[in-house]
Amino acid sequence: MSCVKGLKCRECGRPYPKEALFVCEYCFGPLEVDYDYDRIKQVLTREAISARPKNLWRYRELLPIDGDPTDGLNSGFTPLIRARNLEKALGVRELYIKDDSVSHPTLSFKDRVVAVALSKAKEFGFDTVACASTGNLANSVACQSAIAGLKRYIFIPADLEAGKIIGTLIYNPTLVAVEGNYDEVNRLCSEVASKYNWAFVNINIRPYYAEGSKTYGYEILEQLGWKAPRHIVVPCAGGSLITKIWKSIREFEKLGLIEKAHTKVYAAQAAGCAPIVTAIKENSEIIKPVKPKTIAKSLAIGNPADGIYAAATARDSGGGGEDVSDDEIVEAIKLLAQTEGIFTETAGGVTLGAAKKLIENGKIPKDESIVVSITGNGLKTQEAVADKIGKPIRIKPNIASFEEHVRRH
Amino acid sequence: MAKRLIKLTFPKDLIKKPITFQMAKKFDVMPNIRRAKITEEIGEIMLELEGADQNLDKGVAYLKKEGVIVEPIVGDIIE
Repeated sequence: MSCVKGLKCRECGRPYPKEALFVCEYCFGPLEVDYDYDRIKQVLTREAISARPKNLWRYRELLPIDGDPTDGLNSGFTPLIRARNLEKALGVRELYIKDDSVSHPTLSFKDRVVAVALSKAKEFGFDTVACASTGNLANSVACQSAIAGLKRYIFIPADLEAGKIIGTLIYNPTLVAVEGNYDEVNRLCSEVASKYNWAFVNINIRPYYAEGSKTYGYEILEQLGWKAPRHIVVPCAGGSLITKIWKSIREFEKLGLIEKAHTKVYAAQAAGCAPIVTAIKENSEIIKPVKPKTIAKSLAIGNPADGIYAAATARDSGGGGEDVSDDEIVEAIKLLAQTEGIFTETAGGVTLGAAKKLIENGKIPKDESIVVSITGNGLKTQEAVADKIGKPIRIKPNIASFEEHVRRH
Repeated sequence: MAKRLIKLTFPKDLIKKPITFQMAKKFDVMPNIRRAKITEEIGEIMLELEGADQNLDKGVAYLKKEGVIVEPIVGDIIE
């Protein structure tokens, strides 16, 4: 059963059919999926959702596929953890971590969007998928398209670190390392996407792909006992995730699955790449593109496609935004590991670091419920913390050496 | 004739200069503006440029040289 009416332009509202389209041909605004909520309301109840398998497709009427889902059947429904140690460290009453660092199969929230993108790409009849990525998206597209038996092309800048290449190459995609700077790689991929009849997940499949992010929000609401938190802090790269979490809350309200929510959402970015947070702080309706310079590579998007919508979401919700230095990112990664046992990537350090600042400066009250969005795994970005976590104590293989070097510490 | 969909961002000091018009005239490129926004601090235009391929390259290079930020309409897609 399909509950999708079609696509519509986010700027001018013009309707479009359910096709692999992504930009309004009149105003060049982005297209998004338009649902039949009256129909969804008839079938999607708390009971119906609760009875389904614990994966991201338990909210399938709110996802943009027409047939049965075919990908990501073991993805989603990651833990929502009550972070009691972190509560003490930050002096707050009720804090949760939504932990996609353990997402199946590639340890980041990109597994959600790629699952939806591939299911939709197959419905459209594509046999080849593609993306441009420096990390998590490449891992997930390479992995899930291998499972699906689709041909796969992944584009990366030629100077990407070896560790990031291995996590993609293991799935045997055609991995194309483009010699050129970021802008040149970006432009080439736009041209490839317009010339070849492939499902480029974050270009011509983007309206469908992006909807997968909503499942991160639905799960928070369900796992909190069908209610919304007062505050959610979200990492921002292209800006899509924060808008989709916001949309997930509005949709659950509209369907009567939760009561009227008073949630405020906050954008978190690295100080070295903060176009969205800057727009929020300056109350600007235009995003000024920047050249990224930060260790948080997975958030290093200087010209965010959904930046203006991300900034508007934070503002309209009554929330805001905060940016953090590279040192603050590392300290937050260590804090999360040493309090809650979660080793997150640099993006997680950005989010917790920003949450900490928002709490310290009083923008997030200490006595209200807070969710910190952790979207990726630290094992992928070990170089960010390698020199900042001490070293092992080296000893000889005898008790005297142990007691000399260890017990005295 | 080729077409390119691009977003131009104008820093404050360029807002009052007719750079898009000058580019169009100088390189025989036809701009078709679809959406634009301006504040006291910054301006942006979403537009289609149509012209010979080499003229489009020259026109975009001219805009960048003048200080305009030129980006594909889809934003950064390397995630």
